[in-house]
Amino acid sequence: MRVVALYAIATLIALALETTIPHWLPIGGLMPNLVLILAVDLGMKHHGAIDALLAFGMGYAIDSFSGTHLGLNAFMLTLTYAIAYGLSRYLISTSTAIGVFLVFVAATLTGFVNVLGTAPFEASSGALAMLPELALRAAVSALFTPWVFALMGLGKRAVGLRLRPVRE
Amino acid sequence: MLWALHLLSAGLAPGARAEKPSLGLLWMLKPVQTVEANIADDSTGFVHDYFDLVNVRQENKQLTEEVTSLESQRTRLAELEVENRHLSDLLELREVLSTEAVAARVIGADATEVSSTLILSEGSNDGLRRDMAVISTEGVVGKLIAVAPNASRVLLINDHNAGLDAFDQRSRARGIVGGVLDGNLTMKYVDRTEDVKPGDAVVTSGMDGIFPRGLLVGQITQVSQEGPGLFLNIDIRPAADFRKLEHVLILTQKPPQLAPNVNG
Repeated sequence: MRVVALYAIATLIALALETTIPHWLPIGGLMPNLVLILAVDLGMKHHGAIDALLAFGMGYAIDSFSGTHLGLNAFMLTLTYAIAYGLSRYLISTSTAIGVFLVFVAATLTGFVNVLGTAPFEASSGALAMLPELALRAAVSALFTPWVFALMGLGKRAVGLRLRPVRE
Repeated sequence: MLWALHLLSAGLAPGARAEKPSLGLLWMLKPVQTVEANIADDSTGFVHDYFDLVNVRQENKQLTEEVTSLESQRTRLAELEVENRHLSDLLELREVLSTEAVAARVIGADATEVSSTLILSEGSNDGLRRDMAVISTEGVVGKLIAVAPNASRVLLINDHNAGLDAFDQRSRARGIVGGVLDGNLTMKYVDRTEDVKPGDAVVTSGMDGIFPRGLLVGQITQVSQEGPGLFLNIDIRPAADFRKLEHVLILTQKPPQLAPNVNG
């Protein structure tokens, strides 16, 4: 339950930052996708059914503050969770480097699917043209990954959660 | 994942049960976003204060605190003056439009930056409903797509899912204005025989049942006739600067339905 509470609070804080900072500071689209980083962290370190549901909830929360299609980010974050879960199990590692790589790939893919998913016919050529910009945003998210992982690690220690290695 | 796919494929109707938790989240985060918006408002002043203070310290260290206080007050007053001017302009606009409207503050933006939406400080407690028109003193802003009791979300007209009925003010050529991925606007379905020129103003036609007729949408920047298509490619620069919006006006009264004839 503590994991759920910790990630839920972290998601709300991340959403509050993601929805306010880009509007008030001239950073363009360079705001990291903090909730996605949290989903990768969750997928790499927590492997229960409730954790998968939590990833869905995190995506749903993004959907509540973005775009017009409810479920798009819920799907992408659940998928991200599943990939992070599978990869950490396969590689038997929760290394931050893997997390950085996963965040970059997942952020690019999520951005691309968001563009394609919201305007499947008109935006198909535009979505390809947007790939460099999406990759840049994904790189910013990847850069922030070690700090978010470290903050979550601190949070877990603060609420008395033991950081266990991935089971073989 | 199946659940997410189900949500996506369901094509939720306005007010659907699955939408309720998202409105709850909107309601829940509003106080935090309001506080952050206030901090952001003040922080611009703090940055200027800092640079001012560096100079003042060099000239006379004894006056530092006094200058800090005065500068802070001045920034605060300037900010209040700007806010007052924004609200006065909105009030004036409401009187010009002679319609019922509610002023709201912009407290947040889209969470992913792929879509173009804004979060407003007013909600259903203030009489707001889904699909109401949102405008600013510069022009059309968008329409409400989600309304929680104390906050709401507006879909900007430059989002690639947005669309509104509009016409060229000079030639009266009518079309659908929608967003493109680069944040600008395009006008679709305008016959290539129409006399549309760069520099023309584009205004709402009032035919979509959301926006009243005659509101400024933007200015045509480019007209081309590439390809064998039936329609012109028209680029429009939005009248409103969505990145700098601080206050908007939400029209709570539906515009009168017009017959599909914009000439005259």
